[in-house]
Amino acid sequence: MLLHLNPSSGVPVYLQLEAQVKQAVAAGALRTGEALPSTRKLAAELRINPNTVARAYQDLERDGVTRSVPGGGTFVADGLPGLLKSEKVKRLRPHARQLAVEGRQLRLTREETVKLLEEELDKLGGQA
Amino acid sequence: MSEAAILTEGLSKSFGAQAAVSELSLKIQSGAVYGFLGRNGAGKTTTMRMLLGLVRPTKGSARVLGLDPTKEPELLRILERVGFVPQRKQLYGWATPAELVRMNKAYYPRWSDDAAAGLAKRLEIPMNMAFKKLSIGNQSKVALLLALAQGAEVLILDEPTAGLDPVMVDEILRTLIEDHISQGRTIFVSSHHLGEVEQICDWVGILEEGRLLLESRLEEIRQEFRLVIASGEGLPVAASPDLVSATTDGRFRRYVVAREAERFAAELRGHGATILEVSPLGLRELFLHLVRKEDSCTPGNAGAKAAPVSSFS
Repeated sequence: MLLHLNPSSGVPVYLQLEAQVKQAVAAGALRTGEALPSTRKLAAELRINPNTVARAYQDLERDGVTRSVPGGGTFVADGLPGLLKSEKVKRLRPHARQLAVEGRQLRLTREETVKLLEEELDKLGGQA
Repeated sequence: MSEAAILTEGLSKSFGAQAAVSELSLKIQSGAVYGFLGRNGAGKTTTMRMLLGLVRPTKGSARVLGLDPTKEPELLRILERVGFVPQRKQLYGWATPAELVRMNKAYYPRWSDDAAAGLAKRLEIPMNMAFKKLSIGNQSKVALLLALAQGAEVLILDEPTAGLDPVMVDEILRTLIEDHISQGRTIFVSSHHLGEVEQICDWVGILEEGRLLLESRLEEIRQEFRLVIASGEGLPVAASPDLVSATTDGRFRRYVVAREAERFAAELRGHGATILEVSPLGLRELFLHLVRKEDSCTPGNAGAKAAPVSSFS
């Protein structure tokens, strides 16, 4: 897996890591059961504090993206079975709000903002 | 993890009438990677030297791993367990790194020959060339090798990457993460390279003229600290303990707020201000806002937390 960071993006590093793993899973680049590098190894590779990697891994596990085996590493989970629809909606809502606010601030029309989102969904392909 | 690796209370040092460090209260938790920031002459090196018994405090106290560096027997135990990489490497110039390794190992009960050999190889240190003939980068690597092979629980590093090229810096960061931080060991490091600090540290303290302006988890700075830019006539602001600094720039006021920035902005709006921006700020920006003096109206320091600003208008 190729993880990379952009230190000057202003986005916290652990969120960058989370987003990249989620994207890799969504795009099928990381498959169910595949192992992620150990916290220590990834931290050394990216020259970041191991706590930052641990934080990202914890969040990914909480979100059901990965599961960890005690003493045995972190693996891509099979789907998000345990998550209720309402919980998924709750998690996504802040992102939707952000999109709406930014769209309005940039004076895009409602249709233009929605279209942007649809285009991004299309890029991911797969399920309807 | 809650035990402090380094703790100072009211630690002060004056050289004659010149106060180098004033009433410094630091808490560096065990396992933390603590970035100690400040301009040249802020008192960083003097603080480190007090922790290592090289400078005697004028006032206040310091504990390193629970031990008092002003007491000789306790100091010896500190020096066994703490590795120090000073900014000016004062090692025997005529000695080769291999000889320095042999000289050092006698002093440290936890010395590891394997670690020393591994580091020498990985960092590609010319082990048989006189220390004084080595490049600055290689001298830094030797000092780091000695500190790591000593099996130190705490590393105190005074600008370890100053003057090094990016490849060298990258190697040193990797080594610190692999051989020290990943084992849950503590680092207290001063640096002007805020990008590196942001990468490897989880705590930062900002020192200015011997006083601590701020001590915080880096994560908290990312998540809670905000820059609020407002414009308006003579903004009257109630005292807020969350306000870290306030500067005036023409018609604009820039506030750095430690938490609840939205509420702070709402308060300003209530006083007729126009809020132009509420945005997160990086370590570099935060540092500049805190220590830049020319347009600051922040009344200095008020201790180990974000300094409250009592009144300004």
